[in-house]
Amino acid sequence: MIAAPSPAFDGPVLSTRNLSVLAKGKPILDNVNLDFGPKSLTAVIGPSGCGKTTFIRSLNRMVELTPGLSVRGSILYLGQNIYDRSVNPVLVRRRIGMVFQRPTVFPMSVFENAAFGLRLVHEDEDTIDREVTEALRRAGLWEEVKDDLNRPALSLSGGQQQRLCIARALAVQPRVLLLDEPTSALDPMATQRVEATMQRLKEDFVLILVTHNVGQAARVSDRVAFLHTGKLIEVGKTGEILERPREPLTEQFITGRFT
Amino acid sequence: MTTALASTPSLAISEDLRRGETARLRWRTGFDRWMGWILPLLFLVAILPILDLVYYIGAKALPTMSWTVLTSTGDYQIHDALGVPIESTFLFVLSATLISVALGLFGGVATAEFLSERVASWIRMSANLLAGMPSVIVGYFGYFALCIYFGWGLSFIAGVFTLSFFMTPYIFRTADLAFSSIPRPIREAAYGSGARPTQYILRIGTPIAFPQILTGVFLAMAIGVGETAPIVLTVEPGLLVPNSLFAPATYMTALIWTGFNQPPSVALTVAFQAAFLIIVVVIVLNVAVRFVAAQYRKRLEGLYQ
Repeated sequence: MIAAPSPAFDGPVLSTRNLSVLAKGKPILDNVNLDFGPKSLTAVIGPSGCGKTTFIRSLNRMVELTPGLSVRGSILYLGQNIYDRSVNPVLVRRRIGMVFQRPTVFPMSVFENAAFGLRLVHEDEDTIDREVTEALRRAGLWEEVKDDLNRPALSLSGGQQQRLCIARALAVQPRVLLLDEPTSALDPMATQRVEATMQRLKEDFVLILVTHNVGQAARVSDRVAFLHTGKLIEVGKTGEILERPREPLTEQFITGRFT
Repeated sequence: MTTALASTPSLAISEDLRRGETARLRWRTGFDRWMGWILPLLFLVAILPILDLVYYIGAKALPTMSWTVLTSTGDYQIHDALGVPIESTFLFVLSATLISVALGLFGGVATAEFLSERVASWIRMSANLLAGMPSVIVGYFGYFALCIYFGWGLSFIAGVFTLSFFMTPYIFRTADLAFSSIPRPIREAAYGSGARPTQYILRIGTPIAFPQILTGVFLAMAIGVGETAPIVLTVEPGLLVPNSLFAPATYMTALIWTGFNQPPSVALTVAFQAAFLIIVVVIVLNVAVRFVAAQYRKRLEGLYQ
């Protein structure tokens, strides 16, 4: 057993220690060490196939749903290793929420979608009502759906669906929210609204955003980590990394010389 | 305009749209046009035997049919009273469906969600093997395993289980397929929201898979209604609706089995009536399944983008 974190824990909320992910012995991620502090939005950027999606999926043990991947090293959530044998991945995912590339609403009403995580832990109706409203407000969707919360979620537009997915993740009050290219399937207007939502949310949550879009990283993040062929090349303040990268690889990527 | 066209003579294709037609192109267009007639004709040829069958049986059965035939519970060996066979068949199919749904659903969900790919592929292969097994072999298996080895004798319950051996793989396959074909992002979103596997299966998987599973259950019932061997080999023919698990019983197809080659008699009349009823039930089940599944599928529109 590992000790529960003390309430006054002041280290990084989430940190990876020598994190490697292997597929058939071949590393997809190679010895990544990264810390994520409270109230921050870190963008993980890199070319296709650099392992950024695998990285974000390893942060709440979603990689375990893909057969054939094995994880080395550790990930500390408030000092506890989430890959410890005594830790249940279900509880990890309730504290570290996730939003995917494409909107993944369930075939039920808007309200029930947002309430999904709360129903899993058998909250009472009053709490569910309150938390769903709060989560929809935070996700910036409340004004658009408040008149008819019982409409089927699949009737919403793509951008609304994605914000509903954010609300669904927020409703269980996670501490960390993982966003895996949340706007890659959205049009520019919808992208703008999701980005505005992300910027509001970083006041209260630890946000980790995977994106292939350097512009998006520049717009919303306050820290950028650049991954290349599974290795962390460099990490730093968004402005510094994007304007004065120290590594030639980073410079090549952000100036668009490879994608 | 004309000069611009004339100034590009290197273009090999004629600009006159009526002159460019070659013999080959003409032949192909003609072929396409004729195929539009030939294929529906071939389809007619293919379904003619079925139509003829339905017509033949209908022509023999309908003149003797009446409401009293369907409802009277008299002795079906003396006059055409289908009440007892209908009720017995209903009991058989309902019990066998319950068993098959329990086995097939659990098996399908386990195969799709919990078992490793290797084990799952073995189970799928066995299910396909079982589904392709000739019914007479399943019938003899039921006879030797249930009636003799378990000592149940030629009884209602032995027939129910043998019938369910036959129906289970169909329900298993649809349940497995339905759960395996739920879009991966939906599955991951459920787990990503902190769902336990059982919560995912009950709250997300089952509503999405339901129309497909329902289809499988209905089709398995349609297959079960039409099966003969599993029943005639394991159940002692009875004249009454079975009142205990080990009672003798009768089945619609058993009436056809015993009556089809009789000289004109009550048995032959009953055989045709039973055949007609089975055809009607199978058609109704097939139509109902489309209708019901379509209703449920409406809710899922947009899920499989």
